Amino acid sequence: MGLVFAQVNSSDWRTYGHNSLGWRYSELAQIDTRNVSRLSTAWIYQTGLPGGFETTPLVFDGLMFIAGPSNNSWALDALTGRPIWHSHTTPPNKLNLCCGQVNRGFATRGDKLFRVNIEGTLVALDAKSGTTLWQTPIADYKQGYSATAAPLVVKNLVVTGIAGAEFGTRGFIDAYDADTGKRIWRFNTVPGEGERGSDTWSGDSWKRGGASTWITGTYDPELNLIFWGTGNPGPDMDGDVRRGDNLYSCSVVALDADTGELKWYYQFTPHDVHDWDAISDPVLADLTIENRKVKALMQANRNGFFYTLDRTNGKVLKAKAYTEVSWTEGIGADGRPILTKGQEPTEEGKLACPGLGGGHNWQATAYSPRTGLYYFPTSENCQLFYKTKQEFTEGEWYQASNVEGPPNSHGTGAILAVDPTTAATKWRFDMVSTPTAGILATAGGLVFTGDRQGYLIAFDDRTGKVLWKFQTGGAIVSPPISYALEGKQYIEVAAGGSILTFTLK
Amino acid sequence: MHFKIFALLVLIARFGLVQEDKPTVKNPFAGDAKAVESGRLQFRMACAGCHGLRATGGRSGPDLTRGTFAAGNTEADLYRVISDGVPGTEMPAFTSRLQDDERWRLASYINSLSPHDNVPIPGDPDSGERLFWEKGGCGQCHRIGTRGSSLGPNLSRIGRQRSLDYLRESIVSPDAEVTSGYATVTVVTRDGKKITGVERGFDNFSAQLMDLSNRYYSFQKDNVASIQREYRSLMPSNYVRLFSARELDDLLAFLAGLGGGER
Repeated sequence: MGLVFAQVNSSDWRTYGHNSLGWRYSELAQIDTRNVSRLSTAWIYQTGLPGGFETTPLVFDGLMFIAGPSNNSWALDALTGRPIWHSHTTPPNKLNLCCGQVNRGFATRGDKLFRVNIEGTLVALDAKSGTTLWQTPIADYKQGYSATAAPLVVKNLVVTGIAGAEFGTRGFIDAYDADTGKRIWRFNTVPGEGERGSDTWSGDSWKRGGASTWITGTYDPELNLIFWGTGNPGPDMDGDVRRGDNLYSCSVVALDADTGELKWYYQFTPHDVHDWDAISDPVLADLTIENRKVKALMQANRNGFFYTLDRTNGKVLKAKAYTEVSWTEGIGADGRPILTKGQEPTEEGKLACPGLGGGHNWQATAYSPRTGLYYFPTSENCQLFYKTKQEFTEGEWYQASNVEGPPNSHGTGAILAVDPTTAATKWRFDMVSTPTAGILATAGGLVFTGDRQGYLIAFDDRTGKVLWKFQTGGAIVSPPISYALEGKQYIEVAAGGSILTFTLK
Repeated sequence: MHFKIFALLVLIARFGLVQEDKPTVKNPFAGDAKAVESGRLQFRMACAGCHGLRATGGRSGPDLTRGTFAAGNTEADLYRVISDGVPGTEMPAFTSRLQDDERWRLASYINSLSPHDNVPIPGDPDSGERLFWEKGGCGQCHRIGTRGSSLGPNLSRIGRQRSLDYLRESIVSPDAEVTSGYATVTVVTRDGKKITGVERGFDNFSAQLMDLSNRYYSFQKDNVASIQREYRSLMPSNYVRLFSARELDDLLAFLAGLGGGER
C-alpha cells in the first residue's frame, strides 16, 4: 500500500483494526510458516468471568488493555500476564440486550483509554491506573439501547456506534471530544422527518427504524472520511410496518470526519427482512482492478455477498456470493440486488439462505498486503424465518419474530480467502460449525483464527493449509492479535474467560 | 406427641396464610385474548429455542400442548415455573429476564394451547414396558432411570418431553429427526477398518464416538482415512415391522407415561 496512514508501530496494537483502515495485519514476521509449529504458550490469565470475550485488546507501553464483558476492564503486564489494574462498574439491573453484556475493546489517544459501557455510556480511563477520567451518556438503556463496539479515535474525536435495533430504537454514530467527553456531532442512521431519505419509511416507522452501528468503522485520512456499517431495520422480520427501502439501514455510510456530514452511502440490502446487518468491517485498501487503480472498500456482507466498492463514491466494483444465497438473482448494474420472489418471512415459516446470522456476521476480518487476500469466516446455515405481528412497546424486544433450523441440520462454516480485485475465493477451510472468532494476518505468512470448540489455528496465508493448532479449552469468540516485546513476537487470543499468549520457545 | 401435631398444624396454618398473602396468585390477564397473542409472541422469542416454535417440545424442553404439566396445571403454577425455573432440569428462572406481566402473558398463552394429546392413549403401559425391555431390546441403547444403556438418548422423562406424535415418529422413522448430539459418525482408518458409532464429540480436528458395544473411540482427523458425520440414527428402522399395531400402542402408552418418577 505504501501510504503513510497504513503504517503503525508494529510492536504495538493501538486500535481495533490495528490500523485505521481495518487491516488486522501485523508487520511482525518472527513467527512464520517454517517455525510456527514451535509456537508455545507464554502465559494465561484467568479473568474469573465465564466467557463471552469478544474483545480486541490494545498493547502498548508494556501493558495489555482488555475491555471485557459486564463493564470489566483490565491492564495486564504484556510480558507475564500479571494483572496491573482492574476496573469494574455494576451495570443497571434491567438492561435490554439482544446478545449479552459483551464488549469489543478499547480505543486510545495519548495516555487515555476509551470504551463504552453496556448501558450506553462512553468512558475515558487513565491507561496507567484505570481511573475514570470522564464519562458521557450516549443513549438511554431504558429505551432499548446498549453499547458494545470498540470506539474509533480520529484526530481529537472518539467516534462510537450504538446497539439496540431489536428494541425499536433509532441508530446513530457519535463523535466526542477526547479531552472532555463533549459530543461534537451525531449522524442519525435513520433520517428524521423532512430529511433526505425519510421518504423511504412508511408513516412514522422511522422512529423505531433500528440501523444500529455496533461494529467499529474505519477511517481514511486522505479523504478525511469515516466509513461505518449500519444494522438491520426494525422490526427485523415484519417489513409490512415499514414499507420502503428503509435508509440508511443495512448500508455503509461515508461521513466527513470533522462534521459527521453524509458524503455517500451504499445500501447492500434495501428493505431487509432477514436481520442482515451490514455492520461487518468496512476494510480500506488501494487496489488495482482491471488495470485501474481504485480506492476500495471491501465488506463480506451478512446477506451472503462479498463487495468491493469505490470508497470515493460508494459505487459497486465487484459483488459476488460467497455462500449459499436464495434471496437474490444477483446485484444489478446499478448496485441494487435483483430480488427472488417469495423469500420474505411468513407466519408459517419461510426457508431462506443465508440464515439469520448471515453468511458473515460481525467477526473481525483481515486484509494482507502480502498476499492481497481478504480473510473472513463464513457460515452455511439456511433457516426458516417467521413473521409475527407485534405492537411496539418502548424498551421491549421488537423483532417480530424468530427463526429455526430445519430438522437434521446444523450450521457449518469456513474460513475464506477472497481476492478483493475479482471477488473470487482463493482458498477455504471448512469448519464443522458456524465460526465464532475473528482473523489476524501477519507478515510471517500466517493467518490465525479460533473456533467454537476452542482451537486456535494458524494457516498458511496463500494455501489455507493448517500449520499449527492449540486447544485453549474455551470457545474463541474474539479475534487474535499480535505484538512484540523485548525482541519476541506474541500471538494473543481470548478463549472462554481466559487471555492466552503464545511465543516461540 | 400432641405438641408435635399442634406445632405441625400451626405450621400448616402459617404456610397457608403465607400462600394467601402472595400478591400474584391469579393471572391479571385471565380471559384476555390479547394477552394470549402477546404471550405467543413472547414465547417465540424466549421459549421456542427449547420448547419449539409451536410449543410441542423441542431441543430439550417438554411438549407444552398436552394440558398437563409436571409442576401443576393452573396459570399460577405456570407463572411460578416460568419465574423460578425447575431445579434439577434445564428450565431456567425468568424472573430477571422477563417482566412480571410478560410472565403472566406467557402463562395465558401456554394455558390456551388446546390439548391435542389428552385423548386416552389406547395401549397398555405394562405390556409396553415388557416390550421395551424384552422384545424391543430398547434397553441396549436407552436408559430409563437406573436401568438400560446410555448409547442413545435417556428416556427417563420422555413422556413429559415429547408429544405422542413425536414418539411414534421416532419409533417408526428413527431418521426423521435425530436428537442433537446423537448423529452417526463413521471413521475409516488408514488400514481400511470401518468404525461406526454415536457422536460423543466432533470438532474441526477430531471425533469421539461410542460404538454399539459401548466402546469409546477418539480419532485425530489427520491420522485416519476419513471421518464422516451423518444425521441418521443407529436405531434399527424395523420396529414398524417387528411390532404389531397393538404392540406399538402399548409401547407408546409406556413411553408417554415416563415422567421421571417411579413407575
